[in-house]
Amino acid sequence: MVAMWTFALARLAGILLLGLCVGLLVGPVWLWILAAACLYLGWQLLTLYRLDRWLRLRSQIDPPVLGGIWGDIVAQVVRLHRRKQFHKQRLVQLFRELRRSTAALPDGVIILSPQREIVWFNRQAARLLGLKRPVDVGLRIDNLIRSPEFVLYLHGDDYAMPLVIRPPVQLDLYLALQLVPYGGGQSLLLVRDVTRQMRLEAMRKDFVANASHELRTPLTVISGYLDTLADDATIDPAWSGPIKDMRAQAHRMNAIIADLLVLSRLESTDGEAPRDAIDVPSMLERMHRDALASAERPRQVLLELESEDGLFGSGHELESAFTNVLVNGMKYTPAEGTVRMRWWMDAEGAYFSVIDSGIGIPPEHIPRLTERFYRVDAGRSRGQGGSGLGLAIVKHALQRHGGWLDVQSTEGKGSTFTCHFPRARIWQQTVRAAESA
Amino acid sequence: METADLTHHISRRFNEDLEKVRNQVLQMGGFVEQQLHKAITALVEGDSRLGESVATDDYKVNGMEVSIDEECSRILAIRAPAAGDLRVIVAIIKTITDLERIGDEGEKIGYIASRLATMERPADKYREVKHLGRQVAQMVHDALDAFARMDSQAALKTAREDKMVDEEYESIHRQCITFMMEDPRTIRRALEIMWIVRALERIGDHAKNICEYVIYMVHGKDIRHTSLEDVAKQIDAAHASSRG
Repeated sequence: MVAMWTFALARLAGILLLGLCVGLLVGPVWLWILAAACLYLGWQLLTLYRLDRWLRLRSQIDPPVLGGIWGDIVAQVVRLHRRKQFHKQRLVQLFRELRRSTAALPDGVIILSPQREIVWFNRQAARLLGLKRPVDVGLRIDNLIRSPEFVLYLHGDDYAMPLVIRPPVQLDLYLALQLVPYGGGQSLLLVRDVTRQMRLEAMRKDFVANASHELRTPLTVISGYLDTLADDATIDPAWSGPIKDMRAQAHRMNAIIADLLVLSRLESTDGEAPRDAIDVPSMLERMHRDALASAERPRQVLLELESEDGLFGSGHELESAFTNVLVNGMKYTPAEGTVRMRWWMDAEGAYFSVIDSGIGIPPEHIPRLTERFYRVDAGRSRGQGGSGLGLAIVKHALQRHGGWLDVQSTEGKGSTFTCHFPRARIWQQTVRAAESA
Repeated sequence: METADLTHHISRRFNEDLEKVRNQVLQMGGFVEQQLHKAITALVEGDSRLGESVATDDYKVNGMEVSIDEECSRILAIRAPAAGDLRVIVAIIKTITDLERIGDEGEKIGYIASRLATMERPADKYREVKHLGRQVAQMVHDALDAFARMDSQAALKTAREDKMVDEEYESIHRQCITFMMEDPRTIRRALEIMWIVRALERIGDHAKNICEYVIYMVHGKDIRHTSLEDVAKQIDAAHASSRG
């Protein structure tokens, strides 16, 4: 580079020297030097013009052939341009690939602006939701997907779970929609076709319900005959033991089937529980009396009513949930232990707790307690009877009331099962008093 | 007003008001659509509880109509809109009346469906009624889509479908008469079905009305009581002039 600049300077000096020489030979020196300088300047300007013309019409004409410093500048511009072109092409290619891959995704993808307007969507989203390109870009998504559940979901702030809706265009589909917020208030709406899963789930539920129904009839016949046989005095006494066992097992099977039917009914009824006014304290008092009357119970069964308020819900479901929690507590408490029922409220909601002084539950089992047929200790609990479905029923019944089950336990000391209910479900005593007055 | 261009106002508040009331209309439309779907499902699946829930939820539609109406009056009073904006407000006021009527017809269907659920169901499981119901629900859906997109072409296409709904209605009508003549025991059920298809046919008419308001809103032309062929010509001309 230095060489090139030296050369350029030398050329300038040479031209000026030439002007000086000619000036010394013929006529005024300064005039000739000026003429030489002008000549040099003119030549430079001409070169500049050619460079400028090439830069402007780069795509149409070839780079000018220029020597020296100018040639070097041309070469540098060409190199810069090539590099830029290369990067641009790579970016364009990458962008195309990206767009092609999102377009080919089996799931629908919609990009939403902070105002919930559609920015972009792929082909699958258009197919599943009946969107049209390009008219729908810029429209608000809830103007096109108008299902009230979706509007509620969109304007809420809980996007942890997808929402399943039936699309307006194809009614036999089920779509799971999930909003994924990302930077700058934008969000991604994922649309997935879950028709198959929903159908399978429906088939499973139907199967359980039907199988339970079908098993019930033959079992009724069997236990009927066993009851008769047990009372029959003419039978060989050696058989009385086996018959008694068979009868007990038939009863247990009946209980399991009854629980399965309750569970499948809870599962198949959609949505929230009805909002009938339920007088929980009287219900608990009744349950308490029944518990005291039962033969196999711990020495102490206590009831603590700290509130006189009730709940809005389904009486049948609440009773079956509370009974199952209580029976569960009593079953795992030794005869000399204590079971305490407690009904109380605070600012957040209402609670029903069953506190027992039983054997307790190892912590690793607690999250799985509400699974169907889950046994902490297989040998022991089967000996205690029970269907293995009780806590699953509790979980589903509470879910339908917007509540949940909380389990605290210390091994060897006892457990506390608490049913939580939201504030919105509380039926105020003051209202009740006003009604009766 | 060729597109949903509601963003050219100096007053940002006015834009927001217009946009808000438009959203409310579409939300009301979404709820009405759901009511209609539920009512048809209640009939086809013989679900009396679903039918009752449709009938008891109709008050929500009425509530939405009242609140949108108030909002429109407020905008008219405060902003005194002109030209395209005035047309939007007028079209909205008319659209919600029709939506409310669709809600009422849906309520009627739900109520009758819950009554029919206790009766013996026909062998074809109301196949024709279900088909008509789907057709009508699709019409309502398309009309609301046209409203959301301000798409006069789609509105015109949907308005044309009303003729098919009318034909279907006629054919179910005749079928019911045949049933009644063949077996007098079906008269009770057939009469109830007639009420339902009548309601569906009316819903089709209301959907057609909404389409007409969309065309009015976009082109400023009142096309009620005009034949659809003339309307199509006018719209095409308007499109050609806006392009040329």
